Amino acid sequence: MWELVARSLEASTIFLFAALGELIDQRSGVLNVGLEGLMLFGGTAAFITAQTTGSHALGFLAGLTLGGLLGLGHGFFSITLRGDQVVSGMGLWILSFGLTTYLGSPYTGPLGLGRIPSLWGLSPFFPLGVALVAITWLLLFRTGLGLAIRSAGENPAAAEASGIPVTSIRFLCVALGGMLAGLSGATYTLSYNPVWNYNFLMGWGFVSLALVFFSMWNPWILLAGASLFGIMWQLSLSPELILPGVLSRYVWRTVPFAITIPILCIISTPWFRTRWGLAKPEALGRPYAKG
Amino acid sequence: MRLGRYELTLEPRPARPAIFTALTAVVAILLALALSSFLFLSSDTRLIDAYRAVFSYAFFNPHGVLATVHRSIYLLFCTYAFLVPFRAGLWNIGLPGQVYAGGLAAFAVPFVLRTHNPQTLALPPGLLIVLMIAAAAAAGAATGGFAGLLRAKLQVNEILVTMMLNSILFWLVAYMIKEGGPFMSATGEGESFGLPSSLHAPLLLGVPVTAVLALCVAVLLDLLFAKTALGYRIRAFGENPAAARYGGIIPVALSLLVFLLGGAFAALAGYHYFAAVPGVYKIPGNYGYYGDLGFYGIIAALIARGSSLGAVPIVVLFAGLSVGARFAQGELRLPFGVDYALLGLLMMTFVASHVLYHFRFGWRRIPSEALQPVPTELPRG
Repeated sequence: MWELVARSLEASTIFLFAALGELIDQRSGVLNVGLEGLMLFGGTAAFITAQTTGSHALGFLAGLTLGGLLGLGHGFFSITLRGDQVVSGMGLWILSFGLTTYLGSPYTGPLGLGRIPSLWGLSPFFPLGVALVAITWLLLFRTGLGLAIRSAGENPAAAEASGIPVTSIRFLCVALGGMLAGLSGATYTLSYNPVWNYNFLMGWGFVSLALVFFSMWNPWILLAGASLFGIMWQLSLSPELILPGVLSRYVWRTVPFAITIPILCIISTPWFRTRWGLAKPEALGRPYAKG
Repeated sequence: MRLGRYELTLEPRPARPAIFTALTAVVAILLALALSSFLFLSSDTRLIDAYRAVFSYAFFNPHGVLATVHRSIYLLFCTYAFLVPFRAGLWNIGLPGQVYAGGLAAFAVPFVLRTHNPQTLALPPGLLIVLMIAAAAAAGAATGGFAGLLRAKLQVNEILVTMMLNSILFWLVAYMIKEGGPFMSATGEGESFGLPSSLHAPLLLGVPVTAVLALCVAVLLDLLFAKTALGYRIRAFGENPAAARYGGIIPVALSLLVFLLGGAFAALAGYHYFAAVPGVYKIPGNYGYYGDLGFYGIIAALIARGSSLGAVPIVVLFAGLSVGARFAQGELRLPFGVDYALLGLLMMTFVASHVLYHFRFGWRRIPSEALQPVPTELPRG
């Protein structure tokens, strides 16, 4: 039983890292729908680096770096050039989907390194994730920088007028968000499931993106949501633990995705929007032109 | 950006003539092809030979040409599936899911009517084929329309919903054709049952009738957007939803309609690839590969800038490239996924060309007065 819980929490850290990065992005007003692409690239870079050098640490470094760089690339398009953020995000995702399939395929198979040591069976990434949630919450809601980030996402013109460098703040956030997405991908390929295969994420990034909307842009609710989805994901992989022999295991695989849709509907109802949905950054997805 | 005495700025382009649109598309494609040279560098063959292998197989080898034609039909339907909602400003990335829905529904017709056994055809085969096509279109429309309805009624993000539907339908197909699922073939290889030969799609010049359908739709869609009130409404809604509402356009009906159409087109792509291509006539074990190829439809529609007729040559080129690349990969012993890498590169050059399409570089000299240093001493007196 503990094994299942530990495994679920490990799965939830992957959702958590990526979603936390996206949350920081969105708080500053930048929408990145290509989150899955950043995770694919981060995960593949981490896997290839770790396998060639034999070092987990270098793998994580590669994942973080590439994730951050791609985040900056999205930032360049959406902040500097003021392009459509959905076009750029989708472009990033298809670019990653295509290129990682090609670049990673010679490495298809297990990583072949030792497992990352665990604490009583629990992956060390879960405590790291909880710590990151706390840090993000402190950063966003208890520091001046956090206020600057949030105001850049709510009303960039007013923020700029009060002396906040909106462009720099947004670039900082997309870089941080990209690094966290890269970390998420690296955690997947180096720790959770250290095997590379074609399109290994199969929608994890999009579930993470949905989690940000569920979280009402609050890191603690995000932690709860990610844990819930981690458990659900793990149960969908081994449904025989709860309902042995009921339905095919393939039908159970659809459950985490199927549950996402009604939750998205609930948080989109006018009742929810007026009562709870006010946390949505006002300037989300809108390019900001100075002056 | 300031460079010495000059200033470099990005300015919106005031007008974009049609020739310019075509030119950016050509440049984006050529650039992606040039970049894809890097993919062939890892093999021992000379670059020119690699390209020759790709193109000669795709467009001159009899087997290759047929494969290119089939893939073109498939990708054309996927392109329309993305293009129609995109004209209304909505992103349908549920192409794989809608393709699977179409494939499953087409196979459900002979399955439900118990006619997959050729001895017991309950209805005339011609009628059954029409039923299969209709069922596929209906299932795809339902899958797409679901996302469109949620978008219209509740403003639920259509990217997330269609992506979730992709995963759901991917596993549903796995359930249907694996581990004793209802559609599993008698030989049990993780494939569906094969269709009896009487249910094979009728051929015209060796090509299924879906080819005619695909080309007719290309003409009809361009007419729809250029000449009809409905097309105008869709475009207006896509350009500026708020203004369109003031103009009396009902967003709910429109969002639903474009997704119903889009889903039905993707499902026809599914029907074509799983039930109409000679030699296939079943859902293959590697159906995920065919589903993901549908993403080429996204890039084709984007590069064609929403013109369905304009997309036809682009799609034929992409189909040939992906067929040829798959062939060259085996010949030149390249890693798997050359076709996907090309997809990624195309997306990259498209986004770059998108910037140049909307903006132009302004390059002007800063007037020398503006550059004069501020006087540091107070004037006398």
